[in-house]
Amino acid sequence: MQAFVSPAESSPPQGGPALDADAFEALFRQCASEVHGYLISLLRDRSAAEDITAQAFERLYRSRGRLDRRRGTPRAWLFAIARNAALDELRRRRRTSSYQADVGSPAQPPAGDAAGNEGFEQAERRMVVAAALASLPMRERELVLLKFHGQLTNAELAHTLGISESNVGTRLHRALTHLRAQCAPSEEDQVA
Amino acid sequence: MRIIPFPSEQPLPGEDAWIAELEAALSGEQQGPSADAWRELREDVRSLAPPMDPAFQARLERELLRREVVPSRQARPALARRALARRALADRLRTVARRLILRPRLTPSSLAGHLHTVVHRPLAHRRLAILAGALAAAVAFAAALVIATPRESRAPAQLSAPAGRVPRAPQAQASPSIAPTPRASKAGPAQAAASGAASPPSSTGAASAPGRVQQLAASMTLGTSASEVQAVSDEVAQLTVREGGYVQSSNVRVQQQGTSEGTLSLRLPSAKLSAALAAIGRLAPVRAENQSLEDITGAYEAAHRQLADALAVRSALLRALAAATTEGQIDSLRERLAQARSAISRAQASVNAVSQKASTAEVEVSVLGNTHGASTGLTLHTGLHDAGRVLLVTLIVLLIACAVLVPLALVIAAVLSGRSAWRRYQRERALGAP
Repeated sequence: MQAFVSPAESSPPQGGPALDADAFEALFRQCASEVHGYLISLLRDRSAAEDITAQAFERLYRSRGRLDRRRGTPRAWLFAIARNAALDELRRRRRTSSYQADVGSPAQPPAGDAAGNEGFEQAERRMVVAAALASLPMRERELVLLKFHGQLTNAELAHTLGISESNVGTRLHRALTHLRAQCAPSEEDQVA
Repeated sequence: MRIIPFPSEQPLPGEDAWIAELEAALSGEQQGPSADAWRELREDVRSLAPPMDPAFQARLERELLRREVVPSRQARPALARRALARRALADRLRTVARRLILRPRLTPSSLAGHLHTVVHRPLAHRRLAILAGALAAAVAFAAALVIATPRESRAPAQLSAPAGRVPRAPQAQASPSIAPTPRASKAGPAQAAASGAASPPSSTGAASAPGRVQQLAASMTLGTSASEVQAVSDEVAQLTVREGGYVQSSNVRVQQQGTSEGTLSLRLPSAKLSAALAAIGRLAPVRAENQSLEDITGAYEAAHRQLADALAVRSALLRALAAATTEGQIDSLRERLAQARSAISRAQASVNAVSQKASTAEVEVSVLGNTHGASTGLTLHTGLHDAGRVLLVTLIVLLIACAVLVPLALVIAAVLSGRSAWRRYQRERALGAP
């Protein structure tokens, strides 16, 4: 599990170059796994996700001269590049299979008796979350993935998606409401 | 099944408050069960993705960081380069395949052309853009030259620049015709012989009305330096003689200080007026020129009628004299014949005067010295004038360039914008595809 890094922390200091070598390396170390996780969740293809992860960083480096701090942090730029590349890949393949794909298994519950119950509970919860996420429409699922993997603010999401911030809020609200409804325990479960 | 903890068991609050709560929870600013639940949900979602392959991570790190990613194409990370190349090739082959399917009548040459187009598309686009820009610039430059050149050639006459060229009036005014009336030309050999030099010139011009007799006049003002007024006036006089005319009057005043001036009244053959004016205009810069034309056909015909009448009277008197038998009749007829000869002489003089007017043009030439526009050297005025011309031509070039390039830029911007919008639409379609 990657440690949470806020977008503010990932942005290079003001006044310097838009993205120098040190800032790029820091961004790479902070975001590589997150970009990869976002892409593999979106594409459900490990090799494609790896290719596009490499592409995204390479494109970010090449376009570092055009980075505009007023339009978003380098993290937001990176995820925008990754998203565009992923959508291009989806467009090329012309297929969006179900969310259950060959992406490998999620993190295994910790071993041991002491943590057994807790690990099992966590794995079970994640199965429910995965099923709920899979039931989301593709656009809303992508928004949730971008929000949680990219840790972008709504303004950055709006810039990345090319929609208004209020629209982002509305769509995110709808997606998470749907996710909540899917994850809510049924009456049978509550009785049990 | 266990109960899944989820943020806020209560119904979700208003959208704005909900967004604020979510942002605060995810950024770690808010604490409490609800915020913890949001963060836990985020971690659950993130944990659904399998972790990055350590081998890939190490290779990517090695490619991107340890080998120093540089912007040049040759130094791209090998991994990204391979991925890009593989996808680009797949795209291009797919495009070729579509064209093959859509175009069954494909010849080997067209196939080679398609392949070339697909393989070299980025380079072709760059070359096309450069070619379009160069073409637009060339068109603008050529158009500016086309427009500027005629202005330059007309400028000396219009702006009184010292180029020494004379604006030529239309041929209708420059060489008017003097054509004898049919009646005059049918006067017969006897009358022609009697009239002597009264026969008008036969030169014809483009605007000559058949049978009309016209009198021409012109005036011209030349500008030159004060020291050259005398020389220019002399040259005008010499030129007049060479053209078959003469100087009727001349008045040249040269002053050491003040304005020097020369005025010449010339008589030039009407047929040579145009050429003579052009030659005079080459002697010094023309400050002003005027040409006028007067139709004297009525006076010309009246003089000829008087002459014919007088000749007829004389013939009748001669016949009467031959038939006279008495001394008194003979004396009376001889007296009347003397009167008829006097009338013939007056009519002949009148005809000659009118013919002289028709065949000779009156030209007034003024030579002005010490005029600022006449100087041929570099002065402040000429410098400012030339600078103004340069600025004017530059402005025209820029205007034409804008007229060409602005629409071109708008078209390119529209195409790029449309392409971007289409790509965005296609990407969104990829999200919405089943």
